[in-house]
Amino acid sequence: MATAARKQDMPPPGGYKRIIYERNPARTYFSGYQMIAAYVGITAASCYVYYLTCKEIEHDEVEMRSGRFALAPMLTAERDREYLKQLRRNRDEEASLMANVKGWEVGTWFGEPVFKTLPADKLMDPTFNEFYVHTSYKEFAKRAMLKHWT
Amino acid sequence: MVVTNTVDLPTEEELTVPEVNLSNASLRAGAFHLGKYCEKQNLEFMLCRQELDDPRKCIEEGKQVTSCTMNFFRMVKKTCAEEFAQYANCLDKSSPYFDYNRCRTTQGVYDKCIFDNLQIERPEYGYYCRPKVHDSPRPAPPPPEKTIYTDVPHSLPEDYPRPPAKHGSRFHYAN
Repeated sequence: MATAARKQDMPPPGGYKRIIYERNPARTYFSGYQMIAAYVGITAASCYVYYLTCKEIEHDEVEMRSGRFALAPMLTAERDREYLKQLRRNRDEEASLMANVKGWEVGTWFGEPVFKTLPADKLMDPTFNEFYVHTSYKEFAKRAMLKHWT
Repeated sequence: MVVTNTVDLPTEEELTVPEVNLSNASLRAGAFHLGKYCEKQNLEFMLCRQELDDPRKCIEEGKQVTSCTMNFFRMVKKTCAEEFAQYANCLDKSSPYFDYNRCRTTQGVYDKCIFDNLQIERPEYGYYCRPKVHDSPRPAPPPPEKTIYTDVPHSLPEDYPRPPAKHGSRFHYAN
């Protein structure tokens, strides 16, 4: 049985490539101290800009609030008048609605008032549902849900 | 409803006055000068509202506030209608919340017109946020009376016997 000629696996002619083991650091643009100084400088500058922006935002907020406060008396006056008108309308509506019920007194449970220790002329604000009780549910919901969306 | 027949409510006629029929943008545009022009009425009304805490008792003051506001806007309409409309339009369309800081140019034009014609200067930006001292002709309401409870039980006399607790402390760790 003839044996095939065997070829020894040898390095390539001229030897293997040189193994690079020296460090090959990236080019440095700044020293450590320079970078720390830049950090401090940029932070200081941005803090200053932040301060200026905060001041401006506060100025704008105060101005908006100021404008609303200037209008508040006029809006409150208008609201008060409409509110009292509506209270009277509600009271009249209740009186006409319960006209056929014997012994019914407006604002009370057959003569038993809600607030017993208050003077008779004291105006108590009705609750939200009470205020809207003679209207449709749609009107009530429109007002009740409004504050959830605005 | 809690409002009974004994509660005195003003009638519809007493409460009906010409109301200010203006949009939010217009009101915001006029707010600063309006507050200055109607300062006395506004302070009087707000003080009344705060002190008496009853909308029925401040109706007259409220009517004065509204009529003063109407007068102011009538005057503006007579003198600076165009500048006012321009400023209100800018406030209306520049931001969803009628921000004043978006409309400084139109505001300057409007302020100048108001100052030239009505001699009302725009107060500094936080003027209405500051507390004011207002001397009202209406006497202040008396302070609320202090409730005195007569049926409070007397405390034990000083020399009442105080024996130690029969079953120790109520806290188990102290026994």
